[in-house]
Amino acid sequence: MEFFLSRWVRRLRVLREHRRVEREMGEEMRLHVAMEADELMRERGLSSEEAHRQAMIAFGGVERHIADARVSRGLGVLDRMRFSWLDVKIGLRMLAKYPGLSLVSVIGMSVAIAIGAGGFAAIDALMDPSVPLDDGERVVSLQNNIEGRDNPQRHALHDFAVWRTELKSIADLAAFAIDGRNVVTPSGIEVIEVAEMTASGFRVARVSPLLGRTLLDDDERAGAPPVVVLGYDEWQRRFHADPSVIGSTVRMGTTVHTVVGVMPEGFRFPVNQRYWVPLRLNALNFPRGGGPEIYVFGRLADDVTIEGAQAELTTLGRRMAAEYPDTHELLRPVVLPYTYAFTGVHSPTMGWVLRGFQLALGLLLVVVAVNVAVLVYARTAARTSEIVVRSALGAARTRIVAQLFAEAVVLSAIAAAIGLGIAAFALARTQAFLEAASNNWVPFWMQLSLSPSAMLYTTGLVLVAGVIVGVFPALQVTGRGLQASLQQISTRGSQMQLGPVWTALIVAQVALAVAALPFAGYIAGNSLKRSMQQPNYAANEIVQGWVSLEGDEALQEADSATRHAIETRVVSGTRELLRRIETEPMVSAVAYTSAFPGAEEGARIEVDTSGARHYVRTTLSDTDMFAVLGVPLLAGRAFTPADTLPNANTVIVDRVFAEQILGGGNVLGRRIRTVERNATGGADDAGPWLEIVGVVREFGRQPDFDPANAKMYLPTALRYAFSTGLTIRLDNAAAAASFGQRLRELAAAVDPGLRMHQVSTAADAERESQQSLLAIAIAVAAITGSVLLLSAAGIYAMMSFTVVRRRREIGIRTALGAQPRRILSGIFARASAQLGAGVAGGLLLAIAIDRAMGVGPLSGRGVLLIPGVVALVLIIGLLAALGPARRGLAVSPMETLREE
Amino acid sequence: MATKADLLQGTLDLLILKTLTLEPLHGWGISKRIQQMSRNVLEVNQGSLYPALYRLEDRGLIKAAWGVSPEGRRAKFYTLTAAGRKAAGEEEAAWQLFTTAVNHVLKSATA
Repeated sequence: MEFFLSRWVRRLRVLREHRRVEREMGEEMRLHVAMEADELMRERGLSSEEAHRQAMIAFGGVERHIADARVSRGLGVLDRMRFSWLDVKIGLRMLAKYPGLSLVSVIGMSVAIAIGAGGFAAIDALMDPSVPLDDGERVVSLQNNIEGRDNPQRHALHDFAVWRTELKSIADLAAFAIDGRNVVTPSGIEVIEVAEMTASGFRVARVSPLLGRTLLDDDERAGAPPVVVLGYDEWQRRFHADPSVIGSTVRMGTTVHTVVGVMPEGFRFPVNQRYWVPLRLNALNFPRGGGPEIYVFGRLADDVTIEGAQAELTTLGRRMAAEYPDTHELLRPVVLPYTYAFTGVHSPTMGWVLRGFQLALGLLLVVVAVNVAVLVYARTAARTSEIVVRSALGAARTRIVAQLFAEAVVLSAIAAAIGLGIAAFALARTQAFLEAASNNWVPFWMQLSLSPSAMLYTTGLVLVAGVIVGVFPALQVTGRGLQASLQQISTRGSQMQLGPVWTALIVAQVALAVAALPFAGYIAGNSLKRSMQQPNYAANEIVQGWVSLEGDEALQEADSATRHAIETRVVSGTRELLRRIETEPMVSAVAYTSAFPGAEEGARIEVDTSGARHYVRTTLSDTDMFAVLGVPLLAGRAFTPADTLPNANTVIVDRVFAEQILGGGNVLGRRIRTVERNATGGADDAGPWLEIVGVVREFGRQPDFDPANAKMYLPTALRYAFSTGLTIRLDNAAAAASFGQRLRELAAAVDPGLRMHQVSTAADAERESQQSLLAIAIAVAAITGSVLLLSAAGIYAMMSFTVVRRRREIGIRTALGAQPRRILSGIFARASAQLGAGVAGGLLLAIAIDRAMGVGPLSGRGVLLIPGVVALVLIIGLLAALGPARRGLAVSPMETLREE
Repeated sequence: MATKADLLQGTLDLLILKTLTLEPLHGWGISKRIQQMSRNVLEVNQGSLYPALYRLEDRGLIKAAWGVSPEGRRAKFYTLTAAGRKAAGEEEAAWQLFTTAVNHVLKSATA
């Protein structure tokens, strides 16, 4: 074994230094010749020239001996397989020689690689189980999964209490909840997501504070003085890195906290936080299965594996399910790698699904590569004579296949470079978008970028594509016996056989195009159309945001008196806030709402006369919402305060609703009602009949491609909601752009616990949704475009290939006096049969997809896309057949026969 | 009777190893030494010599190093390794056994 290994090590070294080795072999052999010549001169008195000549003859060709010697060094096989710079150059030359084919292939493959590599990296980021902490892979999350549901049950205060005392396999069990608080910062009031965490959380993290201390168990005690630990950035920003910050105070919402510590730079545990306060929730204050949502985590005890901890937790879970069947019957507690609780990987099954998806993304490239292989096959087939002649001159089959593989790798490597560029750009944009949009919920350890494993995966994809594109056609072309090939060249010209496989490929290709393209076109088209729509209301002058009460969620399950007090506090606080906003100098009007334009909720309704059901969008709002937004009434009247009274039952619809749902005309006085599917499967629950009192112009962009875009508006009085949307109209755009900060201050001044979330101008919100729509449109269009391009090129290549193969037959038939029209119709009959089979298969597939999706081109005006795609595919296919057929007919019969 | 004989297949390796037991030599030197020692009967084909040398090097029986020849030329000298010395002994013993056996056959056939 050792001998075997050392021999291969020597060979690899020789391979690595092959240039030096070859040079030395040449030198050694030339020395041999020189010494032989010297001897001939000495012993036979020959002239130097003659001696050298004879020595050379006696030795034979140096180059040939070097080649033999290489084989004896065991490098023969490696030698034949090895690429040289020449192969790469030939590959590049081939790209330039067939620019159309290269362009189509590179575009198709680069899009596929971008999706493959980008998707792989994104899933990798989600699936990364290690949190960057000391011994981070031993930090775990614990949660109650609900049997048969995707989301875990996080109202786990009671469970946490039990787990904390009973679990032996987890050292330092900890929990945290996240709550937004008004915090005064140098730039004014900010709503900051604060981590309410048990002191044990810091022990799990094993990170020492930069200054002062972390939280202590004693801080969690009810009545202990409120304390806060600051993040490094906040210490820099708010306290200008003051080393004597310990003991200072920070007002957070309703409570003043004393700073007890500062964490080092980069510490953003548990998700992405900068403030830590003790978690002081007592399970006894809440019913089992109630209370706020908490995340439970801990560190595996020494010598315990995650499976060991799971076994202990499962036992405990069974006991709790038996003891408390009402709340725990369906709960399945699980131990996961820490990061999985935050990236949606709630179970090992989910992990496998994601991993499977990750690999499946690569299949896209396989499909594309097969397409490219078909194109390349046609090209390779055209080079058959070159390949056969090379074989006859002594080139080994491995060498020829290796060269064609190298050519394919050059092609896919260029596509990979472009694809990786696209993927890196898209990932960076996605990360920036998520960080901006998710309000610090992008975990601190998650970085969307092309990870080393994604690069490795891409390299694998390139090689797989190289094998499909280069090796398979090459094996097919070089597979036949040399003699047979030579014979074929000399008698029939270089003609390849296309078997049933290729016919099946044509049919599958057409079917795929017909089935997939209408849907892709529909989605891209709708997204693009909606991204172009104007907001159609005074978005520039409007500021919007959500108001809610800090710690509100924790009190949801409190007793009714406490709850009532909270609801009153929220409603009166919001009312006072509205009043104060109205008195602000630049504010012209303000209204509350349940949803902002473009983000309305979905609803199912029934119309009075027809009884037909429709999906629409709806919003509950203040009576003067349309005036605030600057949206004109087209018919009827606006809401009045009387409309908010019980049993008023009025509704205003937009023009799209009036035209699409009610068929236009005068819709005032018509009645509609909401119908909700009964959760238990019984008859639908219908609301009261609502009378249409007004029609407004449609406004607001729809942020997705859901076809339901008719909207209706219901009036409501200000009442308690977990959060209420505020829409504020200012005098001009500049005032709107700078009003956000003032809004937070006003809210905090009314009640320090009142927080304003997601404050922005309506124009910015519209722009954000416009950008994401545009991104969807571009992504889908790029994929669709590349698929269409490849399908078209594939169909063209295969059809013209079929016809070229029959060129000889066409020539003979023409020579025998057949009518060109008859010959053409013969060719077209076959082409049409293949295209027809593909179209039929594709239509069936399209209908199946439509049924499965529920939404799609068949259910709307997009149905026109299907005949469009069918026509496109047919035209491409027939054009592909026509060109080569005409060329075939143009060849003089004598010429064709002479080729015989 | 032929004055020069072709090398029997497989004997070249043994001859190279045996030649190198005396001193390190370069390729031309090895071919000349074999020719001399066989009293001009055996002539090494160059096309076989170098592949044989690289094969033996590949098997770790000899090793090569660049040096200067007595004529002052830069040349690659081959030396026997410990494994090569052992292999030379074994192959020689096998060869002796083989030739003795062949001789016995020849003698008994003529007797």
